[in-house]
Parts: sequence; structure tokens; C-alpha cells
Amino acid sequence: MTGDEKQRMLELFDNKRADKYPRETYDVIGKRGVRRTDGYEKASGAAKYTVDVQLPGMLYGRFLTSPHPHAEIVSMDTSAAEKLPGVRCVLRYDDPELQNEESLGGHELNSVMPLPRVAYFQGEEVGAFAVADSEAIAEDALRLIKVEWKQRPFVLDVEKAQEPGAPLSNPENNPESNMDTRGIYMEGHGDVAKGFAEADKILEFKYTFGLNTWAGPERPCGVWRWNGEFAEVWVKQQRPHICKRAISTWFGGLAMNKIDVHCLYQGASFGGWSQMAWNLGGTYCAAVVAKRVNRPVKWLFNRREDFYGSNMDAGVFYIKVGAKLDGTITAVEERGVVVNQAMPVFGIAKHFLENTRVHHVHGRTEAVWVNKGPTVPTRCEQNSNCYSLDLVTNRVAEALGLDPVEVALKNDGAEGHDIDWLNERKAELGFPVTDSLRVCVEKGKAAIGWDEKRHPAGAKKLPNGKMHGLGFTWTHEWDDSAGTSEIGMYVERNDGTVTIFGCRGDGGQNAETAYCQIAADELGFRMEDVRFKHQDDAGFFTMTPDTSTNLSVNGWATRHAARMLRQKLLEAAIAPRGVTQLTSFPPAFPGKRAEELDIKDGVIFEKANPANRMTVADFVGPSGAQGPLMSPVGEPILAGKEGLDYPIRFTPPMFEHGWQVQRGTYLGVRLRFCRQAHFMEVEVDPETGEVDVIKVVTVNDVGKVINWDGCEGQAYGGAIMGVGRGRTEEVVYDQRTGIMLNGNLLNYKIPTLMDVGEVETILVESGMGYGPYGTVGIGEDVATVVPALISPAVHNAIGTWVEGFPITPDRVLKALGKA
Amino acid sequence: MNMAIVEEKRTVSEQAIDLEVNGEAHRLSVQPQWTLLHVLQEKLGLTGTKEFCGEGACGACTVIMDGRPVLSCMMLAIECSGKTIETVEGIAKANHPLIEAYIKHSCMQCGFCTPGFVVTAKALLDRNPNPTVDEIKEAMVGNLCRCGTYPAHIKAIQEAAAVLKVTAPTGGARP
Ligand code: FES
Ligand code: FES
Repeated sequence: MTGDEKQRMLELFDNKRADKYPRETYDVIGKRGVRRTDGYEKASGAAKYTVDVQLPGMLYGRFLTSPHPHAEIVSMDTSAAEKLPGVRCVLRYDDPELQNEESLGGHELNSVMPLPRVAYFQGEEVGAFAVADSEAIAEDALRLIKVEWKQRPFVLDVEKAQEPGAPLSNPENNPESNMDTRGIYMEGHGDVAKGFAEADKILEFKYTFGLNTWAGPERPCGVWRWNGEFAEVWVKQQRPHICKRAISTWFGGLAMNKIDVHCLYQGASFGGWSQMAWNLGGTYCAAVVAKRVNRPVKWLFNRREDFYGSNMDAGVFYIKVGAKLDGTITAVEERGVVVNQAMPVFGIAKHFLENTRVHHVHGRTEAVWVNKGPTVPTRCEQNSNCYSLDLVTNRVAEALGLDPVEVALKNDGAEGHDIDWLNERKAELGFPVTDSLRVCVEKGKAAIGWDEKRHPAGAKKLPNGKMHGLGFTWTHEWDDSAGTSEIGMYVERNDGTVTIFGCRGDGGQNAETAYCQIAADELGFRMEDVRFKHQDDAGFFTMTPDTSTNLSVNGWATRHAARMLRQKLLEAAIAPRGVTQLTSFPPAFPGKRAEELDIKDGVIFEKANPANRMTVADFVGPSGAQGPLMSPVGEPILAGKEGLDYPIRFTPPMFEHGWQVQRGTYLGVRLRFCRQAHFMEVEVDPETGEVDVIKVVTVNDVGKVINWDGCEGQAYGGAIMGVGRGRTEEVVYDQRTGIMLNGNLLNYKIPTLMDVGEVETILVESGMGYGPYGTVGIGEDVATVVPALISPAVHNAIGTWVEGFPITPDRVLKALGKA
Repeated sequence: MNMAIVEEKRTVSEQAIDLEVNGEAHRLSVQPQWTLLHVLQEKLGLTGTKEFCGEGACGACTVIMDGRPVLSCMMLAIECSGKTIETVEGIAKANHPLIEAYIKHSCMQCGFCTPGFVVTAKALLDRNPNPTVDEIKEAMVGNLCRCGTYPAHIKAIQEAAAVLKVTAPTGGARP
């Protein structure tokens, strides 16, 4: 970071405190044992998901999928399908109403054909959409469709696809070669040649990562109902308001106020499905059919079809690193070729820039397209960054005979500066200064028994014949406060309870409970009196769970709304109240100033004389009845000379940015202060190549815990998913036919309760996050960082590096020279 | 597949079955290829029973049939006539301590798998009111959770077992 940049950053913060208004005391924020607001619904089976929606007269729609990895439809005969009893409509690719590209989802809203004619991967939804009285009849209808396919040559392998003369995977979009020339991403600082010249040791290695996917428990689906000219839509999406934005462009333009979106609970897809470029294609086709047959239509994928979208860590990566004998890394140069990225290609050397003192860094990411499904951020887009930092730290340590923990500590820093420089910046910005990585590794080392159990690579055979290994990895925390958010909040009449509203997809992180905790503490209400209604259209954009912003963005917005509502209540409490046609009423707290009052447990009281009190319920009064706060028509008003000119109970949607956006620091100059460190103990069977994960220790400096269950759940849940991704999960295609082989939960192995040993979750609260109260995000990171951790752990066990991920038994045996 | 096969499939007549679900008797007309899961969800509106894998690999669709946990996606409804079935809705309605324990220990994230876990755990506690950690793991290993909630379930099941012990001092299974 240059002096100018630093100056700019300091100016952008409007004072030197990271959080200008921290609370002095916390009541429910950070308290253990806060009951989840969604707990009973989810435990009792009452929670409704989009797939559960049943409407009177509802029909079911299924898509035809391509049996070939690359093919176009020459002709199609749907007559038999149309005649099948129970079939109500077969929509075809050549339907006049389907000839335009439409805005159908994606990371940014993409325009694509709703029902394409050409398939670029086996299993792609193309050609026809059959709608029938039941899902089974729709399936049968698809089987009766006769298609004349023209098969095209295809390519599946990342490296083969780059060769000159390779079959073109998508000649319509990339007519010259399979490389996506728009997709080159470069990043770095310093001069890597200089850095390599300074090095005592230079290492070069390559790693590959296969396709893994989200395997979300709820199938992709959606429901459309026309209520006359009004559209009612149920979306299985984590970005409902962005869906509404897309929907408003359809059919020549639908007014936003004529679209009702419902976003029920989500059988999670961890970001994945919601980022897919065609994910509203089903909803579009359902809308077209619903209009024609005048009945609601639900479309669904089957289980296998959900497997075609994958996570964007797939690819091949080449790394060159230079280091001094003491472990100081002098240069890192990386080239990655990533597969089918359906969002702008992302950097792969970012964590060296954001996270280390390494002066010379260069990263180049290129994108290649093969005949497999699209890849999107699943849990997070920063997978390759995590693998790179993990492998560089551990390979340097091994090559120099050092402890990888020491290598991490030696290189910790930011933007090419060391940790002392970073600590000065923390102080300058008003953060409490903690050496976050050091705290995390000390706790993690103690929990895993690092110093006692650590041994040279390949040196410890256990009595059971297996090889014992320990691994370590690290990176920064996810304080990605990207995006903006609006939250509404009001006090209900009659009982003075509080409703927070804002439509957002629930990914299961327990964020809604955390928002209620924030609102309760800020308002001075009881936790049980606050509810977040998040499933229905609120008419504004509430930040989605994307980019770990549940708290770092929506937390700000909730806090802001709660503080404004509280202020309004107190100001109203001292003002002359409702003037009705019959009479007017004196203030609830005559002669007092708002600052002299407080609210606790839903009671407004005078600080100097707590006996002078009134419950919020009494203060806002009953609905429909005349009373101190009511006009004859039941509207809350606060008129009068000294009164306020707005109703007290309603807070308009608050527009609030995440801190970095607010301060302009999201792009360019953001310093990462909080760290995470993870440790893993494995046993590897040298005969079978099987890796048993005995224990995982996750240590996250989350800044400040708002909701313990939420933070810990994301940490251990992420660790379990991470072990799956790093160890067993890979979507496999038959190289000869291009057909996916394991699109089901029997053959695509996600972890069971027995597959991951003990998971110990440790949270550190340094207060150094950019979110409200010093929080950072935690939804994306552990699941993204942990897969790479298996590599050093297995290396420590068997004494040799396994090149490819996931680290399956066949790859272990290959590394051991046994296969 | 040709039209003849499809039509033959469609013309097979529906059959009446009797099911007792969560203590209520139902007479239902079902097609021979319908699964029990389909009937619970679509005919009885009991959508708490979930489908994740649809092929016997995940436990999300678990119900208790005549006292034993079964995978309702793998059962044909016509084979279930005369059976007594308990779903998550019935377990919740009976205020089984598992429900509160599941909330307290935050056993759910997205929650889609949660009902299947609750039902499997209920069946375990019915036959073994005092399960060890290993017994819990063995009973629950067939239930998949993509969100990785596993560690929480063990604590919740142990807690529910402890509550049951207090409410049923003989240690016997509750009806
Ligand atoms: S849905 Fe029945 S076992 Fe998975
Ligand atoms: S809580 Fe999401 S699958 Fe288990």
C-alpha cells in the first residue's frame, strides 16, 4: 500500500474508530443459549420450503435434458407427449414466445435463452418443458419426445482443451479456441524476478482440483401463479429481490408492484444454485405455461440434474515460490486455468496480497471451457486462493525443514508489509490491537497437540499399520462487507412486540436470530418480543447471505433501524400525543427530554426515577380502538405543535451500507486484520490409500460473536463439508461418452456422521472486524479453507505430496507409487 | 419408452389402502407406483417428511412404521396398508423432548434434513432409552446433513434421553 492509498483510507474512515458506536454492555448479543427463531419450525417439520408448495390446481413441469455432452437439436416431435393423458402443455424451443434472450439469473443478471436448442454438456436443460398433472406424468411425457440430435465433438479435460486443435466446447461463444479471452485476470505487486533473485530456495509445483458440487438437499424448483395480472412467485434462491428485478423485465416488462415474491426456507445450496446463469429459466417457462393453461405451475429438477452445477475451484494451478532459509517468502508466481466459470474470473494469488508481507507476487488466472456444467462460487469463490496459501506455506516449510506454523507467522502481514506495520494500522483505525494469527495458532496448537505429536513427514507408523499425520493451514477471515441493505422495523399495536422485515433467503446460518438479538439489545426489548419476517416480499432489497454479509451488512442495517426506532419511541414519549376529534392527550412523560428516558425489557422509564414507567404496549395502544395514540380511523398519529409529523410505530426501510462500501474501502484498500488457523490429524492406510480424519481443530477470530450457535455451526459445519470436498467429493464424467457418472448421493460421497472425526471449534474475539461491534463473516470461510488442509496432513503422514484434489485413495496410492 | 407402455402404466387402477398416521386413520386411493413419501406429502400434506436423495441414501424421508424407522422413499404405499405410521409432525405434536433438545442444541442449519434426524432419533430412543455415543452414531449414520450439523445431534439426543429418564423413571420406552 502506498502512502497515498493509506492517506485515502484514513480519510475514508470518518473517524478513527472502526465501529463508532459500540455498545458498552450487551444483554442478548453474544449470550450463549439464545433460542433459534427458526428452531421449532425446522425441528417439527413445520418449516416450508419451495419444494413443499402445493396450490389448488397446481401443475408440474420438467425439462428435457441432453443425452449428449455437446449436441444440437435438428428436429423434435412432441406429438406423442402432447397426447398423453394428464399432459397440459409441452413447451418447445421453437415456440414463438421463447425466441428472445431473457434475464434469467446469475452472479450478475445474464441474458440467456429460456429453452435453448444447443446443449454444451450432458444433462443440460434444452428443447422442451413438459407440464402435467403430476411430476411422474411430466417425466413420462419427456420420454415420449422424439429428438433428432446432431452430435458435436466434445472435450472434457482441462489440459487437453487448451491444446491447439482441440474440439471446440462452445463455438457459439468461443469460436476461436476454448480459452475465454475475456476471462484473464491478473493481480500482483512488486517484481517477481527480483524476488526470485533474493531467494535461497525456489520451488515449483502444480496441483489440480476436480469438480465438486453443493449437493443441496432441496432440489432446484420454483412456482409461478398468475393472480389475474399479478404475478406470485416462489423462488428457491438466496437472492429473492434480485430475482424480482429479473422477473420485472419479462413479458415486455412487469411492474415491480405487481410481482409478489415468496422466498421460503432454503434447502441450502451454499450460494451455488443462486449464482447459476439460467437459474430462473424454469420459472420463466413456468410463467409462460401458467398463463396459457391458467393454472399455477411448479417446475423441478431431479436429484441428478442438481449435480451438473459445480464449485469453481476446478482447474489446474502452477505455482513457483522463492524463500529465504529462515522461511521468509520472497516471491510467489501463480498461473491458474479454471474451468467453466460462470461469473467473472477471480484471482488466485489474492491471499498473498491481502494476508502476507511477501513483496513480490504475481497471479494470472485464465479460463477454459469444457463440455461440463457451469461452475459458480459454492461457499465461496476463493478456494484456489486458500489452496495456494496452504500449499505454499507447507511446501516451503517442508523444503526448508521448518514448522509451517512458524512460516505462516513469519510471513503474516498485509499488502506486502509485515505484522508490525499491520498492527500500527489497526491502532490508527481505532481497533484493539491483537496479533490475531498468533492467538489463533497458539489455541489451535494446544487443542490438536501440535508440539507433542508433530513428527517428520512419513515418520510415524501407528500400531494399526496406518501412517499418522498432522496438518496446519491459515488465512484471513472473511470480512467482505460488500453490498448494501435495507431493513424495515416497526412496533406492533396491542402488545408492543417488534417486527423486522426484509425479504432474504435463509441459508441456515441462524442469521435471523442474530438480527433479533441486535434489535433487542439496541431497542431495549426482550429477545422473545422481536421477530424477523424474511420470507415475503418487502419491496426493497435486503442483503442476501452472499459474501458472508449476513452480519457485516445486514447487521449494520438492523442496528441502524433499531436505533432510529428507539429514538422515535423516546421522542414520541415526551411529545403531546394523538389529537383526535374528541380530545387530545398529554405526553406520556410530560416535561422530560428524550435523553432522560430509557427502554428496557419493552418498558419505557425515566432513568432518574425508574418508577415513572410505561410499557411500550400501553404506549402504542390497541389497534382499531380510540386511545391516547389513536386517530378516529385507528391511524397512529403524532400531530400538534410540538409533536412529530410521522407515525411512531413504523420505521421506513433503512438504507445502510456495509462499512467498507460506506467508507469506499471495499475496492482497493482494505486491510485484513482477523485471521483463522486450522489443524487436522489424519491416519492414512498405506495399503488402501484411505485417509481417516481423526480430528479437526478450527480457530476463527470472528471479531465479536453475536450468536454463538450460528458461529460455531458455520465453523464445524464448514469443517465437515470441507473434509468432504478435500477428501471424497468429485463429480466424475466418463471421458469416452461425456456422461456424468455419479450424479447421486450414493456415488457422490458427502460426509456422514462417522466420516469426520472430532471437530473442535474455537472462536477468538479480537474486535477487529469491520462489521458492527467488530464482527466478521463466517459463512463461507471454514468450508473453503479446510479442503486444502488435508494435503499437508496427508503429506505429513506419507512423506510425499498428493498432487490432485480431492485426496482420494487412488491419488494417495499413486503418490506412494502403488498405482 | 413407447406410448403403449406409458398408457398401460396409467391405466392400472388405483387401490384403496388404510393407513394410521400420527394416530389418525386414513383410507386412501393410491396408484401402485406411488411411494409412501409421495402419499404423505401430496395426499396428506405432511411435508415435514423430506426427500433429499430419493433413493434410500440419506434418511431425510424417515418415518416410523410399526415401531421401526423406514425410508418412505423406498416403500410403495400399497405395501403399507394396515400399517401404523409416525411422522415428524406426530412426534412434535406429542411434545417429544427431542424437539426442544434439537432447538436448544441448534441441530438445524438449513433444516431440510432435520425432520429425518428427529424421526430416526425418536426410533432409537424408543428401542434404546439409554444410548451410548457410539450407539447414537450407529443409529444416525444413515442420515445425511449437507450443512454438517452432526456434532449437535449427539448432544441433543443425549439430552432428550436424559429428559425421558426423568419423565419415565422406570427407564422404559414411552408409548
Ligand atoms: S429421500 Fe429417502 S433416503 Fe433419501
Ligand atoms: S441442516 Fe441443511 S442439510 Fe442438514
